[in-house]
Amino acid sequence: MNKTVNTVPNLSTWLWLLLWAAILAYLPVLLTERAFFGIALTNKQLLNLGLTQINLMLISMLGALSLNYLTGCAGLISIGHAAFFATGAMAAAIFDHQLGMPFPLVLLAAALAGALTGTLAGLPSLRVRGLYFVLSTLAVHYVVTYVFLEYQFKYFDVVGIPYATPRIGAFEINTPVRWYVLLLPLVILVYLGLKASLKSREGRAMLAMRDHELAATAMGVDVRILRLKAFGLSSAIASVAGALFAYYLSNVTSEAFNINFAIQFIAMIIIGGMGSLPGALVGAAIWLLLPSIIAGLSPDASSENELLSRLLVENRAQLVQLIFSVLVIVFLIFAPGGVAGLSTRLKNRWMAWRNSP
Amino acid sequence: MFEQVFFSGLALGSIYGLVALGFAVIFKATDVFNFAQGMFVVCGAYFAVTAMSILQLPFPLAIVFIVGAAALLGVLIHMVLIQPLSGRPMLSVIMLTIALSISLRSIIEMVFGPQGRSLTTPLPTGVLMLGSVRISYLHLTAALVSWVCMAGFGLFFKFTSVGLLMRASADNHEAAVVSGVNVNTMNRLAWGIGSTLAAVGGLFLGQLQIASTELEGIGLLALPAVVIGGMQSIPGAIVGGLLVGIIEQMASTYISPKSSDIVIYVLLLLILMVRPWGLFGQRELGRV
Repeated sequence: MNKTVNTVPNLSTWLWLLLWAAILAYLPVLLTERAFFGIALTNKQLLNLGLTQINLMLISMLGALSLNYLTGCAGLISIGHAAFFATGAMAAAIFDHQLGMPFPLVLLAAALAGALTGTLAGLPSLRVRGLYFVLSTLAVHYVVTYVFLEYQFKYFDVVGIPYATPRIGAFEINTPVRWYVLLLPLVILVYLGLKASLKSREGRAMLAMRDHELAATAMGVDVRILRLKAFGLSSAIASVAGALFAYYLSNVTSEAFNINFAIQFIAMIIIGGMGSLPGALVGAAIWLLLPSIIAGLSPDASSENELLSRLLVENRAQLVQLIFSVLVIVFLIFAPGGVAGLSTRLKNRWMAWRNSP
Repeated sequence: MFEQVFFSGLALGSIYGLVALGFAVIFKATDVFNFAQGMFVVCGAYFAVTAMSILQLPFPLAIVFIVGAAALLGVLIHMVLIQPLSGRPMLSVIMLTIALSISLRSIIEMVFGPQGRSLTTPLPTGVLMLGSVRISYLHLTAALVSWVCMAGFGLFFKFTSVGLLMRASADNHEAAVVSGVNVNTMNRLAWGIGSTLAAVGGLFLGQLQIASTELEGIGLLALPAVVIGGMQSIPGAIVGGLLVGIIEQMASTYISPKSSDIVIYVLLLLILMVRPWGLFGQRELGRV
């Protein structure tokens, strides 16, 4: 059966795309020159943001996309996602530091290592499901971070594994703008790739598996292979993100990939919306940008209110944690669909209002 | 040497068993896999700090304060957070308990400061020599209290009418509702019991080490304990706790201190692969 679908975007879609392209292209200029077409802006007007946060956000977006693909779309809950970041970081250390491979090949090797680890970590899904599977991912997390720890102490030191500045040919990636130029296309590529994969036959089979495993099996879907594939793909992406994360920070320890690191990705996809790829992007953006916005509030709050200033200055880390966790709880109770669900609801209301006589 | 390690593992394991028992009570009653159980342990330790150091209550009153505050905390959490989420997918509920534990930790660190507090109670300190084995009185008291609590709750579930109602509503929610059991009250009670047991564990752990949010990691060892013992089984939780305590001490003495976590989690992985329903649990059957 060949259905013809109108895939040619209409004019307004093109305009939106153009607008987004313009914003994304102008963003590094805005944040490095700290001026909007010649008009100088203060730190506060820029919400205290720098390109460093944007780059870290892009790396986290890779993690959130891969986790949402796995958890939201394939229905496999993983609280061991930090393990795959650690796999990528370790692969980068091995292939770059010890084998001296060039940067693009290192990323490829990290992806392969991630896919392999992910497939192995997905093996318990053949036997257990639900809560037991969640626990097996937790166990995998501890195993992988232990291996990372042993590796770090065997070849490096307590201070962590150092990473050299990556270079592609003669092009050194040493400034935030260059990182942005590397990361942004990668995020767009991964986003479009995952979106396309969800529309493919296997992607639709995966959604069916998430919604009703037995029904999907009855329709001839081999859920076991599909689970392993989803796990492999998701952890390959997370592993590349982990390698990039390690390069970007230029030094990581096993402490960086603790259980809280994995939890933040779950929080991102809950805020963004489970099973929605754009939601994963929004969730990662909120998670990474909100702390610096709160940090930007602290200088002018210090004079006004004693309690508020104490909270913002002395206990800022705790305050950020508290705000995030309460945000997650509020989303869970009142908006289970996350930002994506909220926007669908708003859109429906808008359509109803427009179509009403 | 071996006996020494074995006994300190047994003493620690009794506390884990107590925390794991609280965990299992909550899980059995409400199907919530409570990642905040470790934070309940921390809350217990800080309730103890509040009662002993800040309010300077006499010890028996302090115990009443700790138990009351912990039970209230559990009941409130069930009313405000868990009940609205009943019937939601598993990840939502898991993430809720994780978020809850993060917010509890940040509140504790805001109120008490990020550094730990030392906790002193009039419980006996000192060392008892049994042959060549040194057992501290604190370990012994902790183990004894844990055993009394475990036995007490075992009898409570087995022989009292409230315990019977709780078991009924855990076993079959609908049937219990139809028979006129107020399932919500039973669930609240389960949360209260679960957090109280964790808080008692926190009282001892806070004194054996120091009252700080780091105790959460120790409290979270209840998780593998419960799975190893079998999630649906109350005696399983206790045995699992003891096993985890002994294995932890053995691994950190005979292998390396860093390896204690990994040994426990590898065991967890093995159990999940071979016998996912745990040592004492019952096999779950899938239904179409």
